[in-house]
Amino acid sequence: MQATRRSFLKGLSAGVLTLSLMGFDLKDVKAYAKTLKIEGAKEVISVCPFCAVCCQVIAYVRDGKLISTEGDPDYPVNEGSLCAKGAALHSMYTHTHGRVLKPMYRAPYSDKWEEKSWDWTLDQIARRIKDARDADFKQKNKQGQTVNRLESLFWMGTSHASNEECTVINSAVKSLGMVCIDHQARV
Amino acid sequence: MPKSILIDTTRCTACRGCQIACKEWHNLPANQTKQTGTHQNPPDLNPYNLKIVRFREHLDENKVVHWNFFPEQCRHCLVPPCKDVADMVLEGAIIQDAKTGAVLFTDRTASLSAEDCEAIRQVCPYNIPRRDDKTGKLTKCDYCIDRLQAGMVPICVKTCPTGAMAFGERSEMLELAQKRLAKVKKTFPKAFLADPQDVNVIYLLAEEKEHYYEYATF
Amino acid sequence: MTNHWIDIKNSNCVLIIGSNAAEHHPVSFKWVLAAKDNGATLIHIDPKFSRTSARCDFHVPIRSGSDIAFLGGMIRYILDKKLYQEDYVRLYTNASFVVGKDYYFKDGVFSGLDTKNRRYDAKTWAFEKNADGSIVVDKEWKNPRCVFNLLKEHYSRYTLKTVSEVTGISEQDLVRVYDIFCATGKPNRAGTILYAIGWTQHTTGVQIIRTSAMIQLLLGNIGVAGGGINALRGEPNVQGSTDHALLYDSIPGYMSMPRAQWQTLDQYLKANTPTTKFPESANWKANTPKYMVSLLKAWFGDAATKDNEFGYQWLPKLDTFADTSYYSVIDNALHDRMRGGFVFGVNPCQSFANVNKVRESLDHLDWLVCGEIHNSETSDNWHRPGVDPKKIKTEVFLLPSAHRIEKEGTISNSGRWLQWFDKAIEPQGEARDFGNMLVPLMNKVRELYRKEGGVFPEPVLNMIWPEQYKAEDWTKRINGYFWSDVKVGNKVYHRGELVPAFGNLQADGSTSSLNWLYTASYTEEEGNKSKRRNPKQTPLQARLGIYPNWSWCWPVNRRILYNRASVDEHGKPWNPSLPVIVWNGKSWDGDVPDGPWPPLAEKGGKLPFIMHADGVAQLFGPGRADGPFPEHYEPVETPLKSHPFSKQLCSPVYKFFEEDMKKVAEPADPKYPIVLTTYSMTEHWCGGGETRNTPNLLEAEPQLYVEMSHELAKEKGIKNGDGVLLESARGSCEAIAMVTVRLRPFTIMGKTVHLVGMPFAFGWMTPKCGDATNRLTIGAYDPNTTIQECKACLVNLRKLDKLTEIG
Repeated sequence: MQATRRSFLKGLSAGVLTLSLMGFDLKDVKAYAKTLKIEGAKEVISVCPFCAVCCQVIAYVRDGKLISTEGDPDYPVNEGSLCAKGAALHSMYTHTHGRVLKPMYRAPYSDKWEEKSWDWTLDQIARRIKDARDADFKQKNKQGQTVNRLESLFWMGTSHASNEECTVINSAVKSLGMVCIDHQARV
Repeated sequence: MPKSILIDTTRCTACRGCQIACKEWHNLPANQTKQTGTHQNPPDLNPYNLKIVRFREHLDENKVVHWNFFPEQCRHCLVPPCKDVADMVLEGAIIQDAKTGAVLFTDRTASLSAEDCEAIRQVCPYNIPRRDDKTGKLTKCDYCIDRLQAGMVPICVKTCPTGAMAFGERSEMLELAQKRLAKVKKTFPKAFLADPQDVNVIYLLAEEKEHYYEYATF
Repeated sequence: MTNHWIDIKNSNCVLIIGSNAAEHHPVSFKWVLAAKDNGATLIHIDPKFSRTSARCDFHVPIRSGSDIAFLGGMIRYILDKKLYQEDYVRLYTNASFVVGKDYYFKDGVFSGLDTKNRRYDAKTWAFEKNADGSIVVDKEWKNPRCVFNLLKEHYSRYTLKTVSEVTGISEQDLVRVYDIFCATGKPNRAGTILYAIGWTQHTTGVQIIRTSAMIQLLLGNIGVAGGGINALRGEPNVQGSTDHALLYDSIPGYMSMPRAQWQTLDQYLKANTPTTKFPESANWKANTPKYMVSLLKAWFGDAATKDNEFGYQWLPKLDTFADTSYYSVIDNALHDRMRGGFVFGVNPCQSFANVNKVRESLDHLDWLVCGEIHNSETSDNWHRPGVDPKKIKTEVFLLPSAHRIEKEGTISNSGRWLQWFDKAIEPQGEARDFGNMLVPLMNKVRELYRKEGGVFPEPVLNMIWPEQYKAEDWTKRINGYFWSDVKVGNKVYHRGELVPAFGNLQADGSTSSLNWLYTASYTEEEGNKSKRRNPKQTPLQARLGIYPNWSWCWPVNRRILYNRASVDEHGKPWNPSLPVIVWNGKSWDGDVPDGPWPPLAEKGGKLPFIMHADGVAQLFGPGRADGPFPEHYEPVETPLKSHPFSKQLCSPVYKFFEEDMKKVAEPADPKYPIVLTTYSMTEHWCGGGETRNTPNLLEAEPQLYVEMSHELAKEKGIKNGDGVLLESARGSCEAIAMVTVRLRPFTIMGKTVHLVGMPFAFGWMTPKCGDATNRLTIGAYDPNTTIQECKACLVNLRKLDKLTEIG
């Protein structure tokens, strides 16, 4: 085989073109094309979790597993398109390396994480909230005004939360009297 | 009449939606890459990247910056030299679908010797084919033939946010290409279409190929 | 955004400044290029030539931190050349209001400065009042103290020469931009300004945005199609999370957080319910009592009664000037004033400015609860390079969070569209959404209070709290319910029914809403409107591309805010070829107008800026902490010793913590001569937590880089791809040099100033990709918002042969 890029190009002609197009083997093409991977999958409407263009996405799901993701062609803003991040949703959602899959606990001065149950974890956190609140709750300020607030605990986040989750967060924070609350509107 | 893609690089923002969408649709794994002083990563086509966006920048004589983006993929030549070479060795290793114009590397390419693969690589005017050393197969863009056969558009075209890519009947794309070219020329007088008579993936470039990629056109 | 994504296509000139839209909101460029297709000019003003610049008609480099100079120069240009839309300015802004006699601006400082407390007393910025308490108005603009004349006087210093010296933009380029953008001052032309959060990340951030708003008002570009001030909101639901006030200083629906000076609900409502003497002003905020009481009712339900001030006493109250934002928490933690905290879906040890301080401060906490998809630089902070975990006391709970695809609910896009997303798959492992973490957690806390008693248990126990979290229950609660049978007009609503619109909310406890802005999003008749997928539009709506039947948009499905300003006093559109609303003699066609009232000139007609007490937009804005007119000040770390606008080098009122001021470069510090600006990336998301864990994205952008000009690289002996060490007064950072023609040295006041740029997405948790750029950035803050100045600080850099952070 001595054909080089340059020598071959010289040989091109319209005649070859017709012949070549007629000479393909249909069976081979059919064999090549596997079944469409999303065929028969359920379509679920989601929204890309990154910037606030909020491109709509169709998730293809089969047997409870995510098969593929694509832009939602009907959504008038992105019309089916996506950027690099939006295009990567399928592998992002299915990649598990580095993902936290269980409640984890790091004890004081420990050098490792330990897996814990949800129930144990929430019990521990609830205890700490109550102890901190009972110890630090301030009913009056220096001027003697009623302030009913808890300054020693804070909440940070998050714009990743849905509107519903945001209202849950805010309701929890307000009911505890916490005043240190902030999120990505600033950073 | 085959199908064509028009890639108007003057609309490309190098968001790399196409580059990533291609990997995702084809379930291709990631390469380990390094930052070497450019946004272009991976640096070249490879068995896991059948489409990459190339970045090239320069200052013109008026000190105006030009930053060109070249979303590179197989051109699906009307007369694919790769197929002609492959046919000499192993028929069916590279095939062409008359309905769509797709030029396809089949699993049979694994039976080609490394030298044959290199010959096929060498004959491509656009420097597209890459051999997967693990499987021995030749790899490149498959025109999303599975999607085309299901009546869908290639995933890169679907994903493109800015309309830099259009897909359709070859005649329509050629017409669109001429229309776009006429418009773009008002801003970029050197603009041209890259080999429109020979390929199904037609690029509209704003200036000489040196400012995109050596193999942007032949 | 005042407008929305699709509306960008309606613009005649898109000015992108403080944003790199093509890289950070890539799909927005669909609509930016659509504008170009329609004949618009696209202009990018930014320190760096980016992918945005590549697609714009032209790019003009600006020195980071000099935006107000650039914009102030545009104001002067508009006034000098009479390029403003005069009818609009006269009718719809406070240009005619007369400012009180005691107001002055001298040597870069406004009247009323308390230098000790670094705070202005805004008393002298008040408008002059008539005997009946109404504002003195000078429609002829003859009074030297009317806003229009003060504006002229204030910006008279912003000459092309001075602006050019400070920004580094040539006079020729300034005129080019000013001419093209100001051409949209004609009634039939519209210009839009696209910016993003980076524009707010200066010690003068709020005033930068205000200057852009003032320009848009002068040009008559607010309220019209293709116009507006469009904050391209970055984070996935930052519009919604701001609306729902995950903030210390406000409560849902942009109402003030209760403060100690408002001891009773009456005092709160009196202070927060503005009044006006202008009969043409709708003064929408007069409804505050209805929204506040409905919010209290939504939180406390039947426990909230008129007799107990609807539970107002159960809410915490901040002291008058208290700031409990992010950075106060960090500073307080460092000084052992914090016990514990929750960090959910944010990565302070990576994304916050001066991150070495942040990392150290978290070591002082007793406990930390993180809700995260991946173990992050924050949750794993005790494990960070150079630290011995055995010396760190902080107990950490890391709760596995669900991805978007694994949960359901609504988000609000940047154009305020409310979009429902379904759950596609079950969360991986034992991951949960935040609702299914917090609802059971709070139930456990409540159980402890029930069993053990404790301090002030009322708010904990009286808050309406479900047994289990169901997203759509909260979607309904956000919309709001009737709590007793109410007759409105001829219609009787029953307890338990959804409130149809915020016009029905009451101040007597008969209604609830977790956020009045969202009332009408979920109704008895139409159900959950965030799920609507109907592309139907009238021909008028289709020309605009407002899609009123697709999803829903706050407020009351109004797609373009302040749209009453798009018509003249008779309801006739300024631009008849692209109307947003049109008065047909009886009602309005097109978009949902800002209130149903007839046009201004007709009986009962109202002014367009309904959220301002006086119905007009504020060219003179006495409500800001740092002055009624924006003024150029240098960043806290500046390459200049002085600037030509005034003797005041930096803002006299920017915020800081003592701790931070120990590590600041001097003005024109020879040790740190280079300006650093930081930014997001296309391929990574903010701090990079999610995307660095997505191999296909890490492949495309694997490691930290620093972009620099060929000139600087040559000066420092650095070649493209070399390792570089960057140092600021606060820390150091390794990066790979990306030497590019896309950055060029600036000439600022006759001296060469180099600027380099770095993304902040790379952190030590991803091996060998580099560590936080924010180790370099400065903790100095805007006085209004406490937003950090991470867009401009000073560094030095040198070639580094052996890298340890990058491999």
